[in-house]
Amino acid sequence: MKQIIRITLGLTLSCLAAGLVMGGVFILTAKAKQHNEHMAVQETMLSLLGYGKNNPAPSNLHLYQIYRYVIDDGGEKFLGYMIPLKKGESIRYGLIVITLEGSFKISHEFGISPQQALEPADRETALKAVLKPPTSFTFADEIIIAKLDGKRLAYLLPGEFQGFKTFIKVMLAMDPSFKVLGMEVLEHEEDPGLGGDIERDYFENQFANKSFERLKNLNVTKEPLPDEYRKYLEGKTGAFTREEIEKIRGKYKDQDIYALTGATISSQAVTDGVKGMARRFAYRIDVLDRTVASRGLPVAF
Amino acid sequence: MALSKKTNSQLLFNGILTENPIFRLALSMCPAVGISTSVMNGILLGIAVLFVQVFSSCTISAIKNFIHPRIRIPTYTLTIATWVTVIDLVLAAYVPEAYKAMGIFVKLIVAFAIITMRLEMFAAKNPVVSSFWDAVGMGLGFLFGMVTLGFIRELLGSGTLLGYDVLGTRPLLFFVLPAAGFFTVGFMMAVFNSMELFFKRMKQKR
Repeated sequence: MKQIIRITLGLTLSCLAAGLVMGGVFILTAKAKQHNEHMAVQETMLSLLGYGKNNPAPSNLHLYQIYRYVIDDGGEKFLGYMIPLKKGESIRYGLIVITLEGSFKISHEFGISPQQALEPADRETALKAVLKPPTSFTFADEIIIAKLDGKRLAYLLPGEFQGFKTFIKVMLAMDPSFKVLGMEVLEHEEDPGLGGDIERDYFENQFANKSFERLKNLNVTKEPLPDEYRKYLEGKTGAFTREEIEKIRGKYKDQDIYALTGATISSQAVTDGVKGMARRFAYRIDVLDRTVASRGLPVAF
Repeated sequence: MALSKKTNSQLLFNGILTENPIFRLALSMCPAVGISTSVMNGILLGIAVLFVQVFSSCTISAIKNFIHPRIRIPTYTLTIATWVTVIDLVLAAYVPEAYKAMGIFVKLIVAFAIITMRLEMFAAKNPVVSSFWDAVGMGLGFLFGMVTLGFIRELLGSGTLLGYDVLGTRPLLFFVLPAAGFFTVGFMMAVFNSMELFFKRMKQKR
């Protein structure tokens, strides 16, 4: 009996001490970690649009966030989009509620600015003010619309799907015709050296330039990745002439995704995930655009 | 193993060559086979293991008198998990660049046999300073093993070294697959064994 008590006490104390250390470090580092993640996402968004250190984003490039919520009103489900609306010179967020069939239900205006809308807590407070209980809502996802000179430049879609081990988080960039501009893996826990290579350029860049039509039936192939294509994907194009680069781009434009050696499941998961994200998004943005146009809402995007 | 009588430099050397975790003790074979597809993977995982091994060994060595013998293994695992989490959080917060490269490697470490084994065999019986040097030796031994495997496999499998094209061709694509990891480990074990035999004979001749 004495032994059991000592063992129980020993284990409890060890777990408590470990928990305290981990919890303490988490509290100390949470803010910096969040900041880093936010900066990394910003950087990824700009790099997918082709901007970087050598090619800074122009000042007339605007990124508008749209937040999608699933609203439950007495058992009936609706989609709620928090969208940026023009109000004079400034931009304020509003909510547009759409039925699952795609018809308009109601809209509300909030006073919150785009900066405030970035904070999940502020958005929740604003939503709670108009969606009173028993109506409940859950955050679904976020999309970003990039506009340059008043014209839509691209859609940026953060998304996540099941990989071989756990979830894979990605950012997908598409032009207004839903052609893929680029894809970047943000977070994953696939096996290093195998599925972990989904974050390598020669895998990610295979998705670029795929048209929406091609994307719909995109698959993976187990053929080995040709050397010239690999060099092109990794940006090691120093030895190629401009015509050769164009030729390679044309040759592999409609090619299936070359699976990573020894990681077909991860490759397939990313391909299917990207396909699903693009298909769902194309449908949703079409419904949203039509609804917004039919109500004549002064949207910023 | 009783209290170690080895000097600090002997402890260091012991981990790197005499008792190399991969080639002599055949521990942590899963990462050795799965991840050592390139030199860079080897370096990153090796560094991550080195840090976790050193911190865990020192912690266990410092608190060894308070650990009930019946719960020593769970305590080791808990200690390793705590250090892995702490390193993961600190890297993510203050060294995001390193975290981007090493994050997935650090998370793998909790279940590494080599770390638990060193805690059980050495740190739980020896003072903090000796445990520190043993941990550094073992960590460096693991790093050395991973880099060697990565070197052979990357060169033969991808024709590159640290991502730079060296051969201009991929001589044996098979080497990037896990199965080739076993062959490479086996080959390196043979090299280590023949080296041992060679030195033993040299000693006998004298």
